[in-house]
Amino acid sequence: MSKAVLVDLVRCMGCRACQVACKAWNDNPGDLTTICLGCYDNPPDFTGDTWSLIRFTEVEDESGQLHWVFTKRQCMHCEHPACVSACPVSALQKLSSGPVVYKAQNCIGCRYCMLACPFHVPRINWDEVLPPIKKCTFCADRQSAGLEPACVKACPTDALTYGERDELLAEARKRIAARPDKYVNHIYGEKEAGGTSWLYISPVPFTALGFPELDEEPIPELSEAIATYGTPSMLLGVAALLGGIYWLTKRRAEGMQERAKEK
Amino acid sequence: MSAVTKEKVTVPVTYVILAAIAAAGVVLGVIRLVRGLGPTTNLNSGYPWGMWIAFDVFTIPFSAVAFTMAAVVHIFNQEKYHGLSRLTVLAGFLGYLMVILVLIMDIGRWDQFYSVLMPWRWNLHSFMFEVAISITLYFGVLVLEMLSVVFEHSDAVVITWLKRLIVLVAAVGVLLSTVHQSSLGAVFVILRLRLHPLWWTPLLPLLFLTSALFTGFSVAVFLGIVTWRAMGQEAPMKLLQGLIRVIIVIQVIYLILKLGDLLVSGELGLIFGSGRFSLLFIAEMVVGVIVPLIIFASRARSSQAALIVATVGVVLGIAINRLSIAWFALAAPSEYSYMPYWMEWGITIAAICAAVLFYSAAVRYIPVLRKTVIEGAH
Repeated sequence: MSKAVLVDLVRCMGCRACQVACKAWNDNPGDLTTICLGCYDNPPDFTGDTWSLIRFTEVEDESGQLHWVFTKRQCMHCEHPACVSACPVSALQKLSSGPVVYKAQNCIGCRYCMLACPFHVPRINWDEVLPPIKKCTFCADRQSAGLEPACVKACPTDALTYGERDELLAEARKRIAARPDKYVNHIYGEKEAGGTSWLYISPVPFTALGFPELDEEPIPELSEAIATYGTPSMLLGVAALLGGIYWLTKRRAEGMQERAKEK
Repeated sequence: MSAVTKEKVTVPVTYVILAAIAAAGVVLGVIRLVRGLGPTTNLNSGYPWGMWIAFDVFTIPFSAVAFTMAAVVHIFNQEKYHGLSRLTVLAGFLGYLMVILVLIMDIGRWDQFYSVLMPWRWNLHSFMFEVAISITLYFGVLVLEMLSVVFEHSDAVVITWLKRLIVLVAAVGVLLSTVHQSSLGAVFVILRLRLHPLWWTPLLPLLFLTSALFTGFSVAVFLGIVTWRAMGQEAPMKLLQGLIRVIIVIQVIYLILKLGDLLVSGELGLIFGSGRFSLLFIAEMVVGVIVPLIIFASRARSSQAALIVATVGVVLGIAINRLSIAWFALAAPSEYSYMPYWMEWGITIAAICAAVLFYSAAVRYIPVLRKTVIEGAH
């Protein structure tokens, strides 16, 4: 069974304990504070040293009520990750237990994963000479020791719940059904891009929080179909075509030579 | 004799300038490798790919000149193109050499490039893998083809064997090229959310392959005119006209595929309604396909000047196309921006200068190539 985390944005109070716990567990230094006019996010985006980030969004809903929503963002740990499909040297892998993990010894640094990710998550430290990819590991190391991720452990309001993915989906549905006035009826990550290991429920529509609108098709599906069927058929087709053309044109050239000789 | 001394006096000025720029590029390259991407580029999290990747995505179809002509000579058995194909092997070899050198500049963990050669690490789902492995293998083919050209008259056992196997070597090269030219397009299929819909289509691999074919032949025509003229010879126009007929057919197929795809997906309106992207798209189609097609298909094709305009147009058009796909039309989050750092420009320009210098010097000083142009040897 695969593990997941349910993020309940109604419960989050924006304390950033998760953000700090992430840094502490992964030995990541703090980023220099940059002025981000009109926003409270600090740093303003993921960096090579910040893999977990609280985003602050002010949203006015249809009834005119103001919501100040705090969204913990990190790698979504997709069920069908585009980064894993893109990586030429299998440096990124999706574990059956949930996490998308990275093996630096395979990585050539092509940064295709950074472009392929629909959530714009993978990072490198640009000032490192031979930079490895940096992103949330879903605390795969802690999980393998039977512990919950560091951010979940640190959350004081139970906004983060760690558990089996299908159980968390049931729990999310229960919470939405119990308080339809508090939640929009949408579990982000249940179906998006074929599903993710991180699931969100929210008081406001997810587009207002900067989540990309994705359909249910896994991002790598088309590309992998072309690689699986297109490449081998083209190899065989072109090889046969080349052989055929060579045989035909060679015969014609030889025929012409012989006719020239006969004359 | 006097011709030789004349060259020795006039040539060095341009050669020295080109060599100086290339040497500066080597210095910049070393700085890049030891200091990392941060201090030497303006790449950032919003733009993880920039000028160097775009240069490679363009130079790969440009260098298709080698495999297209190898196919004409060795697969289609058109022996009369043998002479010209010596020059196109040289051009392709230098093109791919620059592709690989610039690629090493671009990859962050260049010390682990060998990773691509380890079968247990291969990801067969990744088109980046397909491109990386087939470019690496194809460069091996180009080295063999270069050896068979340069040592054509040698009796060494290795060379005799190489010449005996050259059809097989060329066939492997053509196969690897069709794969990686199309895979290069397929690299952008998974980037559907980023790439502007004017360029994103599931047909990208097919469009990359067909455009690489007509670009390859156009570069052959261009080199056929420019190289011969630079050496004070009449260009082999009759040979080149044969290639132009092929270019016309492939360009028409490309035009139908490209516009047909936009028609079917209902995106034709984007051609005029996408601001600066419309400009790029229209420029690429007019400069790279429509104007060249008019010249190739009309009587203008007997004029060398017109052919130069047409083939330079094809190369410019493919440059706009590939740079759009790998750079200008790849969306990034709005808080990021990217303009290449001067070192990125420097290394790119140095790579181009080095290729021009090596091409020109090789034609002048390698006996087989020189004879091909001066005596029209087959």
